[in-house]
Amino acid sequence: MDAIAEKKNPTFNRWLPYWAVFQADVRQTLRSWVYRFWVLLSVLATVGYLLYRFGGYHEGGIVQTASLHVSQLLRWIVLGSAAIVCVLTAGSITSERGTMADSVLSRGISRYQYFLGKWHARLATVLGTFLTLGIATLISALFLLHEDLSLDGSLVALAVVAALLATVITLGVTVSAVANSTVLGIAVLWSMLCVAGFLMSFLPPRYPSPDRTLERLPYILQGNYDLVGLAQFAGWSLLASGVAALFGLAYFSRRDV
Amino acid sequence: MAEISSSNMVVETFKLTKIYQNRQIALNDVTLRLEPGCVLGLLGSNGAGKTTLLRLIIGLHRPTAGWAKVFGKFMTPNAAELRRRIGYIPTNPQFPRGMTPITYLDYMARLFGLPKDVRKPRLASLIRAVDLLRVSGDSIAGFSNGMTARLAVAASLINEPDLLIWDEPTHGLDPEARRSMLELIKTLSREKTLIVSSHNLSDIDEVCNHAAVLSHGQLIYCGSLQDLKGRMRRNHFELDLEGEQKAITKSTTAIRALPEFKVVTLKHRRLELYLQEEAVGAAALANVLMTLNDNKVTLVSIRSVGQQTEQAFLDLVEKEESRGFARIYQAEAA
Repeated sequence: MDAIAEKKNPTFNRWLPYWAVFQADVRQTLRSWVYRFWVLLSVLATVGYLLYRFGGYHEGGIVQTASLHVSQLLRWIVLGSAAIVCVLTAGSITSERGTMADSVLSRGISRYQYFLGKWHARLATVLGTFLTLGIATLISALFLLHEDLSLDGSLVALAVVAALLATVITLGVTVSAVANSTVLGIAVLWSMLCVAGFLMSFLPPRYPSPDRTLERLPYILQGNYDLVGLAQFAGWSLLASGVAALFGLAYFSRRDV
Repeated sequence: MAEISSSNMVVETFKLTKIYQNRQIALNDVTLRLEPGCVLGLLGSNGAGKTTLLRLIIGLHRPTAGWAKVFGKFMTPNAAELRRRIGYIPTNPQFPRGMTPITYLDYMARLFGLPKDVRKPRLASLIRAVDLLRVSGDSIAGFSNGMTARLAVAASLINEPDLLIWDEPTHGLDPEARRSMLELIKTLSREKTLIVSSHNLSDIDEVCNHAAVLSHGQLIYCGSLQDLKGRMRRNHFELDLEGEQKAITKSTTAIRALPEFKVVTLKHRRLELYLQEEAVGAAALANVLMTLNDNKVTLVSIRSVGQQTEQAFLDLVEKEESRGFARIYQAEAA
């Protein structure tokens, strides 16, 4: 009798489904050719650029300021690889709709847990990769270029770019939860980012905008930054992320898969 | 289906309707009740709405109108606690790349929130039970249809569900694998409630005790399989005869003159009879037997032709389609 009662009332770990989706998605992203292409491209571009600048300093004696070159590299990572980050995030849910999602969402998992698992996995993978690459770039720059970086400035610069990237990732996952196909999702996300960037460039100077913040990166890396302004920028980015995620969560929890 | 209170029903739907993007009516006003221990065979041609109904019951889709209750509670996309008691196999199960049967079943068990000390022994037992032990460390990508079907079965049983929903479980299987699947369904039906959708009517006939027939998104029959067979028009018979050919030919001519039959054909010593719509089978056959006796022809065997479930299904669909506008009256549909 006890055995029957035990079988009928097994203990369930409430957050295990979320964790399972998170882990599976991280593994899936790390295995995807898009991710590997992105990392390879970023590493090759960074190494090539740093060695080129180091050669200029070593052979020609031209002073190469680390803050300028690292800021350019960080900008390239954000802007240059934005298309790849769009592909990585905008297909996170749509690519599984109809087939794979059946196998997952028909189990004991809620839509909320599935969305959160996917979102957090993409955030962890992309931001983790970006921060690893960013820190490796900073350390390389310290050894190879004329060192004018400050530790706190470097950390603040990485945090600001990470906040911007987090917004892009969240928008990507949200679009993926709303769109019906991956191609449509990528197109919508890319258009949204272009339009938002264009409109924000018209904001008065006292408001933080992505392009102005990225332009100030060399000074931030040197330690010359307005902490309140940057905190405001990061705050707005995270708020936009939060709103986008809430919308995606609410929409996905009510739609057909 | 039976006089059981609503809260005790395993599955209950009420006026369940699904319209996709205001363009396609996939399911129309489906009301059914499934009591514990039932093995329901879901029948219908392609596009009849079988998969849509199953996806609504499991919460993968949201109804446009009406509702679906499972274990007495409303099914929604977020009703994870209800799905913990359901084992589902989709039509063509897909598996994540790079996984082995062990990692896949572990993943499925974690999706049900099963702790390690429960899921590990269970997945090991299931892998053994579905005969995948030798390939338990191999990538699923290289599996045959039969192996993926067995893995999907194991995944649907990992949570020890009370309700199993299997969408065309014998689809794409070879005869041996199909036979094993049907035997498994029979075994499981002793302690679980099942909904099995299939194109193959003989499968349904073999393993199910109840049937639901969908036609163009509408439920045209829901009840016991026996009742469904009882609705069949038995109007086609074959008789194997023995005796002199001249006597057999003479009997055939006499039978052709009987008003109860619309077609009578003789092929060698086999007599095929098609009854008129309004004819009474027993009386007509009695006349045939008397005619044969009068001509000293021996009857070797007599049988009703056609698979019974298949014929009953086709009769139902044909009848439904012939009703035209009258089908809006629900009373007649039942």
